[in-house]
Amino acid sequence: MSDPRIIVTVQEAAFAFDEGYAALLDNRCDIGAVVGFTGLVRDFNEAPEVTALTLEHYPGMTERALGDIAAQACARWALTGVVIIHRVGRLVPGDPIVRVLAASAHRRDAFEGCDFIMDILKTRAPFWKKEHATQGDYWVKERESDAGDAARW
Amino acid sequence: MQLTHLNTHGEANMVDIGNKDPSHREAVASGRVRMAPATLELLGAGELPKGDVLATARIAGIQAAKRTAELIPLCHALSLSKVSVDFTLDRDAGVVKVEALCRLTGRTGVEMEALTAVSVACLTLYDMCKAVDKEMVIEAIQLESKQGGVRGDYQRTRAPLVTGDGTPGEVSLGGRCELSPCVKVKFLAELRERVGISELSLSLDRLQSRDVAGLKAALIAQDASFAVLEEQRTLCAINQVMANDAALITDEDEVAFFPPVTGG
Repeated sequence: MSDPRIIVTVQEAAFAFDEGYAALLDNRCDIGAVVGFTGLVRDFNEAPEVTALTLEHYPGMTERALGDIAAQACARWALTGVVIIHRVGRLVPGDPIVRVLAASAHRRDAFEGCDFIMDILKTRAPFWKKEHATQGDYWVKERESDAGDAARW
Repeated sequence: MQLTHLNTHGEANMVDIGNKDPSHREAVASGRVRMAPATLELLGAGELPKGDVLATARIAGIQAAKRTAELIPLCHALSLSKVSVDFTLDRDAGVVKVEALCRLTGRTGVEMEALTAVSVACLTLYDMCKAVDKEMVIEAIQLESKQGGVRGDYQRTRAPLVTGDGTPGEVSLGGRCELSPCVKVKFLAELRERVGISELSLSLDRLQSRDVAGLKAALIAQDASFAVLEEQRTLCAINQVMANDAALITDEDEVAFFPPVTGG
């Protein structure tokens, strides 16, 4: 069996809903499942009327952290490949922020691998959100529930 | 956010403050006059041709605060209970810093009075020194703090005092790094806004211990704004790998401080 394929991208541009599929499948026929997660910007969070948010990251460390998380997932589950795309810069409600794809021969590995990657990404990858709401701007606070989700694994 | 000096038709409008209860109000404003080192020397020594520069600028600032309502169209005339104007000569930075405080018990704020006092004190400094220096720059006139009133207190988040020869994007604190081992420090996201600086470099010779704890201590000794680094939620990475207080720092390392992450 070949090494799992890991693709990590940090970009300002929007991505399509099927972004990453072709690269992950790569004309292979031993992949039986692809699980995808797409995170979107909500118009409510800490404030009720969020008009936009700005995502900042730490170039270099971000890509490395995402690559490490994908590699951890591949080590724990029988994944044939992982795609992580995370956007930075200014986003408005409805915009996609993050996309995670996990591929495997059987569905359970892909489901769990994808779930794991999102939980760890939210507590480890160096991204920070500043929300712009009608009442003013503020930095989003870390959540206890996110730490709890990451601790499940 | 509504601009109180405009009415519903967008026209200039003097706010009726008759229904507000009087309260204790105070405002502090500041500004700077940048000048040549030789001018600053003459000023400090009291050897400028027009005489006692600072005493004259102080009286000018106090007088101006009292006359703010005559200068700014929609300002109310106030009976100030206290006006003070102070000067600090900063020879390293090549500036005279001006700070004004205005106080009263009344129905409207005194920040315009404090800003006017600073502005006119700066102009007077310029007038008193212009015979020897025409390159002077008046800069950074700003409100520092205000207390009282329905909108509550305000305190400017202060940028750390940075000395030394920094260029944009890379500010040195103290000694030059070319001659000694050096650490590059970055502040990210909310932390950058709280300390008021994004990047600096620091000579390792200034660290009592060459680890993260030593770096934090050296920065805090330099400026109290860096006390935020001691907060438990502040995270640290050395060369983009997470690090704790005991982690060692060597020459040319990049150390980043940041808050807990909130991506995804």
